[in-house]
Amino acid sequence: MKVTDHAVFRRFWYPVMPLAKLVDGPQAFVLLQQPLALWLNEAGDPQAVADRCCHRTAKLSLGQVQGDAIQCPYHGWQFDGSGTCVKVPQLESGPIPKSYQVKSFACQARYGYVWVCLDSPALQPIPDIPEARDPGFRQIHEFDEVWKASGLRIMENSFDNAHFSYVHAGTLGSIDSPTPASVEVFDHPEGLRVETLIPVLNPPEQQRNLGLSDPITLRQTERFWHQPFFYRVRITYPNGLVHVMVTTTTPIDDQHSQFIQFVYRSDREEDAPAAGIIAFDRRVTHEDQQVLELTDPDAPLSIDGEEHMVSDKTSIMMRRKLAALISADAQTSAVQN
Amino acid sequence: MLVTQHSVFKQFWYPLMPLQKLAEGPQSFTLLQQPLALWLDHNGDPQAVEDRCCHRTAKLSLGQVQGDAIQCPYHGWQFDGSGTCVKVPQLESGPIPKSYQVKSFACQARYGYVWVCLESPALYPIPEIPEAEDPSFRQIHEFDETWACSGLRFMENAFDSAHPHFVHGHGKTHGDQSNPVPPPLDEISDLEDGILVRHWMEVLNPDIQKKNLNIQSDKTIRTNVRRWFVPFSRTLQITYPNGLIHLIFSAFTPIDDQHSQLIQFCFRNDTEAEAPAAGVIAYDRQVTWEDKIILETTDFDTPLDLQAEEHMAPDKPGILMRHKLAALLKAHS
Repeated sequence: MKVTDHAVFRRFWYPVMPLAKLVDGPQAFVLLQQPLALWLNEAGDPQAVADRCCHRTAKLSLGQVQGDAIQCPYHGWQFDGSGTCVKVPQLESGPIPKSYQVKSFACQARYGYVWVCLDSPALQPIPDIPEARDPGFRQIHEFDEVWKASGLRIMENSFDNAHFSYVHAGTLGSIDSPTPASVEVFDHPEGLRVETLIPVLNPPEQQRNLGLSDPITLRQTERFWHQPFFYRVRITYPNGLVHVMVTTTTPIDDQHSQFIQFVYRSDREEDAPAAGIIAFDRRVTHEDQQVLELTDPDAPLSIDGEEHMVSDKTSIMMRRKLAALISADAQTSAVQN
Repeated sequence: MLVTQHSVFKQFWYPLMPLQKLAEGPQSFTLLQQPLALWLDHNGDPQAVEDRCCHRTAKLSLGQVQGDAIQCPYHGWQFDGSGTCVKVPQLESGPIPKSYQVKSFACQARYGYVWVCLESPALYPIPEIPEAEDPSFRQIHEFDETWACSGLRFMENAFDSAHPHFVHGHGKTHGDQSNPVPPPLDEISDLEDGILVRHWMEVLNPDIQKKNLNIQSDKTIRTNVRRWFVPFSRTLQITYPNGLIHLIFSAFTPIDDQHSQLIQFCFRNDTEAEAPAAGVIAYDRQVTWEDKIILETTDFDTPLDLQAEEHMAPDKPGILMRHKLAALLKAHS
C-alpha cells in the first residue's frame, strides 16, 4: 500500500509538528507530498496553506508573519489562513484580483501539536486522549523526527508482541522468552482496541522511571489504533503508575513518515524526571527505527503478499480494515463520478 | 517550459566555465544534458567533444591532453577537436578506421570563458559587451557555480524591480523598505535577440557598499540599462551619481531542466586602488545569495502560458520574455 495512491488518506487529521515550533516563525512541512506553509495568526491559531506563491511559486514558508497573514519572501504578497491574498504591496490602487489565491487546508492545535487535514471534512475527529483532560496526568513531549519507514509498518510494530525479544533485547525483551504474550482484540469505531498483559524486562534506568525495583515487571496494556496512523497505549504497572504513550506516523510520502511521540504520566517530575523517561523511550524507539527503516515501505494489504504467524493477528486486522477503507472510498468516488 | 524538451536551445552559445580552469587539464561539463569533455589545444584554444569514448564509453575528461588531442584514460586513444581519432596506441600499422570518431561541438573563448554551441550555426552570436573592449574598464570575475533553478526564473528576477524591496531588503543588502512600489520603466524595447529596459531606482547604500562605490550617503540612485539576450544571459549596466559604472554580465547556462550554471563577471570604470575587487565581489556575493535562497524554491518548470501564474505590473519584462520564448519555440517547432 502506497499512501499517495489513495486519496482517502487525505481525509484524516495528522499532527505535523509541535505548536511551539511555529512561535519561531513560519515552518514548512510536506504532508502526503503536499508542501505546506504553516504559521500562527494573531490569536495564536495555526494556519496551513500550499507552500507555493501563486505569483512566482516561491515558498511562502521562507517568509514572515504579518498580523494574521503570511508574507511571501519574494515580493511581499500576503495571504491569510483561507489562502486569500490580502495585500499586494506593489498595487497602489484598486482591488486585489480574486485569482490571487493559494490553496488552504484545515488546521488546528491539539495536545500541543499542529494538526492538518488535507481534504475536509475528515472521516474521523482527532483521536481523543482522555488522560489529556485529566489533571492527574502530566504531558511529556518526546520525539518529532523523520523516519524512512511507512506508517503502517510502524503501527503494526506497536502492536507486535513478538518483536520485543529480538528488537528490544536488553531494554524490554529477553531472548530467553520469545513466545509473545497473547492478546484480546476488539473492534473500535475508529480502528482497534487490544488488551494484553506483557511481562517486560525492567533494567536499572527504567527502575528509576517506574519506581519499581523488580528485574521483570508486568505491563497491563490497553492499546488503541485509530486508523490510519495513530497509536495510543495505556500501560498500568503493578504499583499503579500509568504511562500513556501516543505514537503517530504522519505520512510525508510513500517512503517517509514524521514520527511524533508524546506521553502522559500519572506521576510527577519529582517522582521520575522527564529526562529519564525520554532517555529510556529514546533507546527503545531507536531500536525500532533501526529495524523498521530496513522494511519495504510498500506494506501489502493483501494477506498473500507476506508470510504471517499467530502474533500478527492485530496487524492482519489493520490491513483488512485499511483495505476496506480504501475499497469503500473507491466505491463512493465511483458513485459520485 | 523545460529546456531539454526544445532542441532550439541547442542553437545558442553558452559560457560553461572560466578558460583558466582548462589550464589545469581537461574538464567536464554537462550542457542541456549533453556531457562534454573540454580541453585546450596547443594554441590555447578550447575544444569540446562528447565526454564518452567511442571504444568503451569511458569519460574522456578524465584523460590527459597530448598536443592538440585529448587522450582517453582507458586505452589511450586520442581525439582532436573535430572528434577524429588521431592515435590508437595499440594499432601497429595501417590507417585508423574512419568510424573511430566522437561527436564534436563548436567551442570558443570569449571574455575569459569557454563558450559552446551544441548545434551550429548558432541563431545569434555571443552577446556583445562594448565595455570589454574599452581600456577604461577593468574586468572582475565573480561567480561560477551551479544553482537548482531554471534560467528563465533567474532572467525574470534580474529584470524585476519589485523583488529587491523584499529579497534584498529587511536589513540585508540594497532593498529599500520605505517604498515597495518600483518607479515606472523609462523604456522597454522588444529587440530581435532579447529586450532592453531603462529605468532608475533608489537603493540603500550599506557600509560594505559605500567603499565599493565611493559614495558616502545611506541611499543612492541607480540608473540602469538592462539587456536580456535570448535565452539565458543578461547585462545590467548600473550608473551611479558619481559617474561610476558597474556593468554585470550573468549567464544562467542550462545543465538540465533543474540546474543551471551561473557565470557572472563585471566591468567597472574605476581602479583596483579606488575599490578593491575583493570588496566588489563580496557585495555582489551577498546579493546573489539572497536571490539564490528564494529562486531555488521556485518551480523550475516556468510556464510560458500566462494563465498558469498570477502577474502584476512590475512583471512586464518577464511577461515579454515569456512571449518571446513562446514565439521562438513556435518558430522552431
